[in-house]
Amino acid sequence: MLIFDQLKRNDPQLQLLAVGVLSGLLVLLAGLWWVQVVSARDYQNTLESQSFRTVRIPAARGKIFDRSGTNVLADNRPRYSVNLYLEELRGQFQLNYSQSIPVRVVTNSPVFWKRWMGASNVSTQRVRLSREQLGVLSWQSREQAARLAVRQISRSLQQPLDFDPLEFETHYRQRLAMPYPVITDLSTVQIARFEEQWPLPPGVDLELQPLRFYPHQSAAAHLLGSLKYDDSSKEGEDAEFHYRLPDYRGVIGIEAGFDSELRGHAGAKSVLVNNLGYRQSENIWSPAQPGRNVVLTVDLAIQRAAEEALPAMAMGPDTRGAAVVMEVDTGDVLALASAPSFNPNVFLPKLSLADNKRLTDPHLRPQINRAIQMQYQAGSTFKTIVALALLETPEARFNPNEKYIVAPNPAKPESGIIYIGNQPFHDTVAPGEYDLRRALVRSSNAYFIANGLRKGVFERVVQLGHRLHFGEPLGLHLNQEASGNFPSPERARTWTAGNRANLCIGQGEMDVTPLQLAVMTCALANGGRVLQPRLVQRLESQSPVLSEPSVFFPGGVVRDTLGVSPTSLEILHKDMLAETEDAQEGTGRDARVAGLRICGKTGTAARMEHGVKRNTTWFISFAPYEHPKYAVVVAVEDGVSGGHSCAPVARKIYEALLLRERGSFAGTAPLALAH
Amino acid sequence: MFEPINSDQQPRVDKLQLFAVAGLMILGTAFVYSATMVGGTDFPAPWFHQKWFHQIIWYGLGLGAALTLCLVDYHSLARWSTVVYWLTVIALVAVLIPGIGTTHGWGARRWINLGFFQFQPSEFAKLGVIFALASYLSRPAEELRMPRIFGKALGMLALPFVLIMKEPDLGSALVLVPTGAAMLLAAGIPQRFLLRLMAGAAILAALFLVDVLLAPPNWQIKLEDYQRRRLLVYFGIDYTSSSHAPKTESERLHKQQFDDSHNVRQALISVGSGGLRGKGWRQGTQNALGYLPRAVAHNDFIFSVLAEEEGFVGSVTVLALYAVVLFTGIRIAGQARDRLGKLMAVGVVTLLFSHVFINIGMNIRIMPVTGVPLPLLSYGGSSVLGSLIAMGILQNVYIHRKGY
Repeated sequence: MLIFDQLKRNDPQLQLLAVGVLSGLLVLLAGLWWVQVVSARDYQNTLESQSFRTVRIPAARGKIFDRSGTNVLADNRPRYSVNLYLEELRGQFQLNYSQSIPVRVVTNSPVFWKRWMGASNVSTQRVRLSREQLGVLSWQSREQAARLAVRQISRSLQQPLDFDPLEFETHYRQRLAMPYPVITDLSTVQIARFEEQWPLPPGVDLELQPLRFYPHQSAAAHLLGSLKYDDSSKEGEDAEFHYRLPDYRGVIGIEAGFDSELRGHAGAKSVLVNNLGYRQSENIWSPAQPGRNVVLTVDLAIQRAAEEALPAMAMGPDTRGAAVVMEVDTGDVLALASAPSFNPNVFLPKLSLADNKRLTDPHLRPQINRAIQMQYQAGSTFKTIVALALLETPEARFNPNEKYIVAPNPAKPESGIIYIGNQPFHDTVAPGEYDLRRALVRSSNAYFIANGLRKGVFERVVQLGHRLHFGEPLGLHLNQEASGNFPSPERARTWTAGNRANLCIGQGEMDVTPLQLAVMTCALANGGRVLQPRLVQRLESQSPVLSEPSVFFPGGVVRDTLGVSPTSLEILHKDMLAETEDAQEGTGRDARVAGLRICGKTGTAARMEHGVKRNTTWFISFAPYEHPKYAVVVAVEDGVSGGHSCAPVARKIYEALLLRERGSFAGTAPLALAH
Repeated sequence: MFEPINSDQQPRVDKLQLFAVAGLMILGTAFVYSATMVGGTDFPAPWFHQKWFHQIIWYGLGLGAALTLCLVDYHSLARWSTVVYWLTVIALVAVLIPGIGTTHGWGARRWINLGFFQFQPSEFAKLGVIFALASYLSRPAEELRMPRIFGKALGMLALPFVLIMKEPDLGSALVLVPTGAAMLLAAGIPQRFLLRLMAGAAILAALFLVDVLLAPPNWQIKLEDYQRRRLLVYFGIDYTSSSHAPKTESERLHKQQFDDSHNVRQALISVGSGGLRGKGWRQGTQNALGYLPRAVAHNDFIFSVLAEEEGFVGSVTVLALYAVVLFTGIRIAGQARDRLGKLMAVGVVTLLFSHVFINIGMNIRIMPVTGVPLPLLSYGGSSVLGSLIAMGILQNVYIHRKGY
């Protein structure tokens, strides 16, 4: 080195100095290398964690449409809130603070000679405040600045607003980087008043957040389901956030079943904060990806008709029941109604106590979706399957025209009875001669028990029940589906004649949901295809700009076939037609609609509720008789009878279906109903 | 006097050193600007009231002072050394008198308010001591072996040392120790004296530290509270360990410890987060967001600002510039015409080196926090003037070197 060459000669002290300086500089170099190169990442992380706050931004939730794709069942409405950006209030705070600090205080009146000298009447003294006192003062001025801003907002909204110092303090300590919410969910009048005040006072801003809204109120409430406040991260999203903006998760129904599609992907922004924690700037580093829209198969008009018909035609406003409308060829669910209903808008943003009381009424249980969540014994509606089994079992040598004589009940001679072993089975029908049609129309228990116990018939009934997938969930992914009950063939084989007799009249160890019965009805109507009910047609992108391909769910997916002959079905159809058209004996007469021939079957089943025996009344039907297109199933708890309580509901629904047909007939395709 | 090297080709000044000094002044202006011109105020002061501009003025004044100094042979100046020394001592005494010295609210009385200028006598006292000591030690070599002379030299050092400690300004006082030691060594004081001195100083320093850090409160040397806490922070000792305080008290102490180590921690985060390449000039966040306290970012912690914005590359550049200044300084010492020049150069070089080592070391936590500015980079009139005058002394020794 240049310098050492010159020092080498004679100067040990300078050499020592040079070595000392060099080693000192090398120590610094090594230290800097360690801090800036080796551990740079650690310090960068520390820097980030102390000066960045991350905020989760929820995505816009997808909408839910009815089958037309234009009627919005679940929408997002803007929710306006007035926010206070605390960092903007710092000028006001500093002003308050500097004014509140006493500089001189009056100590006492001055000594007499000063007064003689004409000095001021009071003497003052400089004060020095302790750190604690300054802290209290600064907090007071900070609070005062916020209070002032809230008062300004209150004045411009012409509405008194509370300022909760405790809430403010909590916000200040925990969420300083976020704006302080002064008032949330402004009414339109308030928004207008607020906008008039332009320019806004410093630090005040109107903020918009989307909130779930169900424009048709209670329509399809059970099917749509409900949301719950949940701002936690989904799988695949960043999990570490300092702050989260409000977000919601589906709890039940479509909102839950398609939650991940509807919810989209939350984004994130980072807020740069200074050493005091105030917001300095913001940077969105991953924008939220909006969720997808869900297009249902449900038809809003039919859904509404079913929902209105249930309380109107059955048991009044407190009717508990369900109605299901399906297309027999596609399995599309056109309506899935449950009564009593509720308004899903009451859940958001916060459920009130009164609403909660109504929703949790132990008797009405409005939140239960009775169409898929309740399972009832099928009762006499199951006799249609027994009839099919009779017709389809060659070894039983069954002839539908063969007469069976119902014996009178000795204790009650106007009604029939049948004994299986020692066990009596009561029949509501009058004693006398019954062929298949009369037995179906009058719903004779004795007839179906006696014939159901013929050789091979019971096994056939169990087989058909399995082909209908009774006792299995339909796989709707709604978080609210009951699977029902049905005996396995092995179990059924061990049964006594009494148990078998019970099953033949749809009682005992079998339960179905109204939707399962609708699937059965469709199978009876469409030639034996057991369909997978379809609730959702497609998922589509929320914004037309985003060319995200839609996802289609195919209709008419066949789960199984009954494997019965068309002739048997034809016989059954004719007999079920008589149920609504037989002027004297048809129990489903109340379902009749002019211009539509309806095949039906009523039913009543017993169920135990809290130890009390109660009835479930049914009406299953499909129409038109000539070319079945729609299946309508109605269940009413504690109804008078299937004919009285359920058939009128079905009639209202058929009327709506006819209206729909005419509407679309005028518009586009010619339809089967005109035949 | 008539040697052939004496020719017109021989440069009159050490250009390499001047380039390094110029480089440091450019960096100083740029980073004082970066450290002080942070957003936040809607109405910034007019440009001629801003710190970077003041810094440029101080550079100008300092260069003027250095130039003036170079016009006179240092031998002529050395005749005034006694006067300079006692003026220095008077200034150091004056600053301790409450009416004259001001504290700026920092707890230490270090400044004399001259209206336009906050004069900090300790910055100049260091140079005064170097000047006087060099002059005193440039006597016949035999005299230097006499203990009386050695003792007197120590006394010359001790007086300003004690006065500066009294302010208190521990950092400035401590830099006198290596400076004095290097000068004594270079002067040719017998090594046994120096070894004894160093051993004694080391024992005293060790006792001092142990007492301050670990002794029970009523056994401790009376030290300013903040000084003791700085030492505790540096040695990473828990505030609460020495006292068996109740819970609330220990919580308060914990919080205080956190606050006290704040500057060191934030400086370290600034330097470390700069990484290899830095964030770019004026792109550093530590200073802009106020994590690095505004009050010290442009003076004592200027290096943090630079290291964050320019990274390891920038830090090494600064180190290299200092290395040039220091080693050319040592070369000047080697080429000095006589012992007086050599001692002056050695003193100045050691002083600068001590400042650089303590200041940068404090930014990367290998030294405790003491208010020692970084020569030529830190903002501050006294520091800039003092540093440039020191450079003037070096150049003066160079100009009047051997064979010239």
